[in-house]
Amino acid sequence: MKFIFDLDGTVTAQETLPLIASHFKVEEKINALTKETIKGNIPFMESFIRRVHILGKLPVSEIADLLMHVKFHNKVFDFIQMHRDNCIIATGNLDCWVEKLVAKIGCEYYTSISKTSNNKVVSLTQILNKETIVKKYQDLGEKVIYIGDGNNDMEAMRIADVSIATGLTHLPAKSILPFSNYLIFNENALCRQLNQLF
Amino acid sequence: MSSTKSIVLSCAGIGSRLGLGQTKALIEINKKPLIYWQLQLFKEVEDIRIVIGYQANDVVREVLKTRKDVIFVYNHDYFNTKTGASFYLGAKDANEYVIEWDGDLLVHPDDVKLILQTDEEYLCYADISSDEAVYVKTNAHGDVESFSTEEGNYEWTGPACIKKSKLQYTTGNVYSQFEPFLPMKGLKIRAFDIDTYEDYKRVSEFIKTW
Repeated sequence: MKFIFDLDGTVTAQETLPLIASHFKVEEKINALTKETIKGNIPFMESFIRRVHILGKLPVSEIADLLMHVKFHNKVFDFIQMHRDNCIIATGNLDCWVEKLVAKIGCEYYTSISKTSNNKVVSLTQILNKETIVKKYQDLGEKVIYIGDGNNDMEAMRIADVSIATGLTHLPAKSILPFSNYLIFNENALCRQLNQLF
Repeated sequence: MSSTKSIVLSCAGIGSRLGLGQTKALIEINKKPLIYWQLQLFKEVEDIRIVIGYQANDVVREVLKTRKDVIFVYNHDYFNTKTGASFYLGAKDANEYVIEWDGDLLVHPDDVKLILQTDEEYLCYADISSDEAVYVKTNAHGDVESFSTEEGNYEWTGPACIKKSKLQYTTGNVYSQFEPFLPMKGLKIRAFDIDTYEDYKRVSEFIKTW
């Protein structure tokens, strides 16, 4: 059995991209992009690429250090720590920005992949398709439980054996609800359900 | 007691027989939606699982006003299934013992305490009051021997408690989940379910006696 977690807002109690934007005072640009994405005017993948173009010019090491201080949902964090071999993080976020952060969690993880030079992102080489991670473990005979809250979790949740939509940090994306078995807004309830499934 | 049992509250249906155009969890009884009154009865219960389908977003919004630590369970096929499916979906990843509770059922608070303190498996029934009831036949000890849509000495209302491993997926009515395990211990309670507009008026009066 594998529990695959989205990172932002599901394991962390803060969204990381807005945090980076705010720290470097580019939130106006990022917020405008986020707003148009939520309205459906900009597709998710395009929006992500455009956000990386804006944030990629910022110093990678400073972003990675900033994200080291992101708050976690402590009970979810503890669940993962207790079941490290069964838990996986799948985040569309960039490897160079979040590797230090996910290393703190201590389980296996998958990220989008970038190329850096002179402490800046010079290109985005792979955007993580979360559904391929679900498929990979299903092909190994694992029952996959997927926990997420965003549009980019939708395909993974469509094929997972059990899908849990969460609203721990913000309301879950409407697009994932038709593929969800469970909808949970509270950390205690989420951990209770995870333990019941385990 | 109840901390080790899950309550599965089935609120997925379209409430067609009632004719008020909304799922029964949302109908107002004495200025509060039915789901509010039910959640008041379950304050001591940790694992509340609310099965949602028709008007799911509205039910979620209403529940979150009262408590946030519930687990919402989707019955996406609510139009083609009945409470038997909702109960199965709500129970399958729950605690070992599950209490089935229809979203249109109101039980007297004193009887709720009795129900939650009862350890083993059981089926609850009440005096006949509904216009379109399913009946139970009981034996001398009050145990339930059979269900019937024709006749019986009490009305089947639920709730009921059973080990979740005994449940199977069904598109039918929830009582069919219990039929293979009869006879089962029976508990007589004061309860009303709301299937028709007449039931609705009766429950509105009943709740004033709490």
